[in-house]
Amino acid sequence: MLKEKHATEIEEIISRYPVRRSALIPLLYLAQREEGFVSEAAMKEIAGLLRLTPPQVYETATFYTMLNLKPVGKFHLQVCKSLMCGLAGSDTVIGWVKTKLGIGPGEMTTDKLFSLSAVECLAACGTAPMMQVNEDYYERLTEETFDRILADLKKDGTCSLKTGPFMWPEPANAVKGET
Amino acid sequence: MESLEGKRGLPRIKPPFPATHGLYNKPTVVNNIETLANLPYIVGRGPEWFASIGSPPKSTGTRVFCVSGHVKQPGNYEVPMGVTFRELIYEHAGGMRSDKPLKAFIPGGASAPFLTPSHLDVKLDFESVAAAGSMLGSGGVTVMEEGTDMVWAALRLMEFFYHESCGKCSPCREGSSWLVQTMRRIVAKRGQMQDLETLVDLCKNIEGRTVCAFGDASVAPIMSTLKHWRPEYVTLIQEAESANLIKLEPAGVRH
Amino acid sequence: MDNITAEHVRLTIDGISISVPKGTLVIEAARRVGVMIPHFCYHPKLKPDANCRMCLVEVERMPKLQTSCSTVATEGMTVRTATTVVHNAHKSVLEFILANHPLDCPVCDQGGKCDLQDFSHQYTATSRFAETKRIFQKEYFSPLIETQMNRCVQCLRCVRYCDEVMDVKALAPIGRGTMTEIKSFGAHPLDCEFCGGCVQICPVGAITSRLSMYEYRPWMLKRADTVCMFCGDGCQITVQTKDQELIEVNSAQGAGRNSGDLCARGFFGFRAASHPDRLTHPLIRRNGALVEATWEEALEFVAEHTKRLKLSHGPQAFGGLISGRCTNEELYLFQKFMRLTIGTNNLDSSARYGHINGVQAMRSVQGTHRWTVTFEDIVQADVLLLIGTNITEANPITGLKVKEAVKKHEATLLTIEAIQPAIGTISNISNLSKQHVCVAPSQFGAAVLGLLKAVVEGNHIDSTLRQQAPDYVSAVSQAIQQLDWEDLAVSTGVSSESFVQMAASLAGGRRVVALAGQTLLRSQGAYGVCLNLLDLLLLTGKLTAQGCGFAPLAEENNDQGAVEMGAVSALLPGVLDLTDRDARDQITRAWKEDLPVATGATLIEMIGLAQTGIIKGLFIVGENPVGSLPPQTGVKEALSKLDLLVCQELFLTETAALAHVVLPAASAMEKAGTFTNTEGHVQAVRPAIDPVGDSRPDWEILSAFSVFLGAPLEYGDAKEILKEIRAVIPGYGSLGPSPIPPAVDPAAVDRYMNEGYRRDLATRYTLPARDVRQDGTVQLGLTQSLFHSGKLSTYSTGLLQIEPSGLLQMNPVDAARLGLDAGDRVRLSNGQGKFTTTVKVLDRVPEGLAWLPDHFAQDALRLFDCVVDPDTKVPSYRTASVSVVKTA
Repeated sequence: MLKEKHATEIEEIISRYPVRRSALIPLLYLAQREEGFVSEAAMKEIAGLLRLTPPQVYETATFYTMLNLKPVGKFHLQVCKSLMCGLAGSDTVIGWVKTKLGIGPGEMTTDKLFSLSAVECLAACGTAPMMQVNEDYYERLTEETFDRILADLKKDGTCSLKTGPFMWPEPANAVKGET
Repeated sequence: MESLEGKRGLPRIKPPFPATHGLYNKPTVVNNIETLANLPYIVGRGPEWFASIGSPPKSTGTRVFCVSGHVKQPGNYEVPMGVTFRELIYEHAGGMRSDKPLKAFIPGGASAPFLTPSHLDVKLDFESVAAAGSMLGSGGVTVMEEGTDMVWAALRLMEFFYHESCGKCSPCREGSSWLVQTMRRIVAKRGQMQDLETLVDLCKNIEGRTVCAFGDASVAPIMSTLKHWRPEYVTLIQEAESANLIKLEPAGVRH
Repeated sequence: MDNITAEHVRLTIDGISISVPKGTLVIEAARRVGVMIPHFCYHPKLKPDANCRMCLVEVERMPKLQTSCSTVATEGMTVRTATTVVHNAHKSVLEFILANHPLDCPVCDQGGKCDLQDFSHQYTATSRFAETKRIFQKEYFSPLIETQMNRCVQCLRCVRYCDEVMDVKALAPIGRGTMTEIKSFGAHPLDCEFCGGCVQICPVGAITSRLSMYEYRPWMLKRADTVCMFCGDGCQITVQTKDQELIEVNSAQGAGRNSGDLCARGFFGFRAASHPDRLTHPLIRRNGALVEATWEEALEFVAEHTKRLKLSHGPQAFGGLISGRCTNEELYLFQKFMRLTIGTNNLDSSARYGHINGVQAMRSVQGTHRWTVTFEDIVQADVLLLIGTNITEANPITGLKVKEAVKKHEATLLTIEAIQPAIGTISNISNLSKQHVCVAPSQFGAAVLGLLKAVVEGNHIDSTLRQQAPDYVSAVSQAIQQLDWEDLAVSTGVSSESFVQMAASLAGGRRVVALAGQTLLRSQGAYGVCLNLLDLLLLTGKLTAQGCGFAPLAEENNDQGAVEMGAVSALLPGVLDLTDRDARDQITRAWKEDLPVATGATLIEMIGLAQTGIIKGLFIVGENPVGSLPPQTGVKEALSKLDLLVCQELFLTETAALAHVVLPAASAMEKAGTFTNTEGHVQAVRPAIDPVGDSRPDWEILSAFSVFLGAPLEYGDAKEILKEIRAVIPGYGSLGPSPIPPAVDPAAVDRYMNEGYRRDLATRYTLPARDVRQDGTVQLGLTQSLFHSGKLSTYSTGLLQIEPSGLLQMNPVDAARLGLDAGDRVRLSNGQGKFTTTVKVLDRVPEGLAWLPDHFAQDALRLFDCVVDPDTKVPSYRTASVSVVKTA
């Protein structure tokens, strides 16, 4: 039960909005953070918290593709496959995943460590190819950095390569731009 | 606003407009972050200062352009409006990745019609890009070098639009799925000549008939690539025909 | 004229100029000039969603085509629907909609009544779609509702109806884009109100009824527009039949008082009439057993024994009881038969179970026996007060009017209900309340007193009334001042502030309607509570004002008709007092025969008289007192003592099983006549099929009795009876589209304020006895389920699939306190007996209460005491304190 574990945070989220339903998406994220995906039990609980029917939660949860409705790996790789990344080689990145982890889009490794989704534009066209792992961005991927990311994630659960920033010429501490 | 209300992200029917009936049915002003980011400077230094930059009368100030694709130095560049694409691509973004000639570029995000090398000297301002048959849109400039398969490029964008279509209204929902499937068939060398006519018809039937502007936007890649690079489509279909690869799926349901 | 132009706009559609009220949508304006603009997602009951894009039209001075379903007509607007541009747009949108639609029309139940099929035909749409069609995994929604989501055109009418009209929100669009699918929740079957609204509103064959799946093509069916046989709302239904088979029920948009909306009972309950257990032959008791007989034999038997008993014991040795499910014609003939052919006023109907409380209260205070308001007034009310209605379950369509008032017109809803606000699988009216007080049924009276006290203390008394009836006002004020807020708070569990706020809302309303439901009307002291409610309206000046009034809700389809036809002991047709000389004279003149003089016995009194051997013969038409009354009333023993018990029934009920003669009656699906709904609207009942087996309409049976008894009451058909009713009650049942409600009779109100109130004011303004709850006990209440109506619905296969048995419904807190989980078997017991059932945990049940659906409660009745109202003789036996123990 989310309520028992996150009572304060839930209360804080709900208190942000004048209408309870507004807390729906943040609460679904909370549920996803907890379990890696949004389970039926979580949706029912959230429905109760927000005084909605379960179908009302379900319709919102299934609309947003960033909410996973099925279990994903501990590290959920979301590789951007839109044109801008495609021009920069995103298909190659998906190929690396296949060769290095043995999984294709929609699949998960048997140790449940990694899963892969090919996703549409994540708004980092200037630093293509890129992927998002759970909530972190990894941009301007090369095979070398990709290998390091996988290794670090396995080892430390995180990787220092996450989230840019990238600029030309590459400064040491520049601010990340937006697309 | 719908998302903020915890709902599915579908467009609302207008009128009423957000300015009178927006979030929670209250008057709401919706602004781009880009607009808000400009505000402190305009307020601080005055509108005259802002207007002195760029390409008057309408396209003043600077904009951040995100240059992506086959350039040496992709990234975000803030430039005064009115510089040319040539300048942005060849000077700021370091020119073409493998020094191949430029084949095509998208001037303003996925929904902006593709432009050709002949448009390189068009100025990066609203009016000039519109005159060239496209739009400045989000400021996402995507550059493609010689050798890029334009049908494939259009398909990739169409797949994006198909994925992003919320499904509320029929032309966009059904049209985007139909276009993607037909494009996939053409790219997979299973197209037919009449598909080209269907593509154009479908695009025209989506345009102007949807709830929001997304429908109009989604047809830009196919319409503009068909306009500038129709022979590429034709070649793919001819290859399909000569290889006798055409195997039409029968229409109808299969349970 | 100025007024009209101010509120109207003039526009031109295809060259035709038309003036429409401001705010009218172009699609509606077009409909008025006979231009039908094709559409899928638009529905007059729903807010425009403009998603199908089918209804595009050209509007002058607008660059793009506009959706006529979401465009409001404006002054001077020029609309064109018949241009090539528009035609091509329609055709292209249709091509899109058809793209993913499987062309499985040959096996689709919508075939022949499908909008997509019709428009495709109209536009000779061909599809160039040569790609793969989307396929959804086929899922069963429910045992009753079939979905074929491949056929869905995503117009979302079902989803919007379920939310906007029903307030159930059981359906949702799931997923995105072309893969958007209408679902409830995951792979779980649909659990909702089963109103059938989604089935009715789906323009294609995506949602259909499983009850009639693959059984018909629309053109094979015969239709009969009639009235639903379940609750008092009186919904118009269209029964569709194939030969003698009941195939489907629906209700056309805009039809009847329900405007096309139905509940589960109306939509899925129709096959109660064709249940295999229906009685098809007369039965006569021979050697202790009921055996089949011919009509001739049965009628002879009845006539012979009736004559014999009458000869030796006189007419007062007879009594009669009739169900409020019978038609007006039957109710009328029944009381005429009892009064003339038999010669007694010992007669009663099921209106006695509660409805009479409300009617008598209205007669006492406002001099009407009907509502002074209509459903339209409920919809247009700005303040609605609901007391003990459980409206969603008891009167679901009246409930929709309340929902419409709140959801569409922002009415203020005040509720005094034994319901907890909670989101559930069915809608909960208290969720829509501005102010809700949750009170146990035994304390509804206390809550009304609280409200009265707040009205008096808050100075909300109408100033004209103060001058007009100072004695009445001060008497009521004094009586209410005797009550202490603290006592009220203890009784109701509600603070004085809540009553104060509620009273302020009530007094501030311009159009105020107070609805009292069966939970109140069937409770002890309900007559007094109704009078107090009328006091409340009177004091605040809301009794006589336009659009204001008191609306007691009838449970059975024709409870109101039963009273109006004089099928209750003390009332003659037209709701005239038996003791009123003028009234007696009037009826005598019409019947050309004298009425019996002796006062008649009511339901419980008749049982007493049978017990003591004074009543020896009883005619029961469609009533089942043995199954309905607690055994403490001695009903079974009393009926067993009778020398002659004649039952006219659909099924062999507990009562019929005791009878000497049982005659198979025709159901409402098989006969003609009229029903009078809860608002007093008389509507035509038409046969959809022939009487099942050898059954006959009740009026025919009564008429046959009279012939065999030598005092014929003969009629060619039901219409002839109605004609006679109209002679007795001038203008009865004009059968128009909506009722014309009576106005409050000022003379009656004067009488009440001068004299009437004095009789029982002191008793009425006393707090009802409090329940003292002991540990381990709950207050058990017999409740009305949305999925059943009386016992009749328990023969409906459709409804039994939704609710097959009576579960004990408890609040989660109580369940936890008693260590119970859903599905546990429990024994309920008190000093009077035991009953074993299964627990269901339900959020909307208030703490300390437990609900048992009346429809399955025969064996639990022994736990209940029966208290008879001294004034209205209503037996109440709805609550009992019981201990709940889990059994192994």
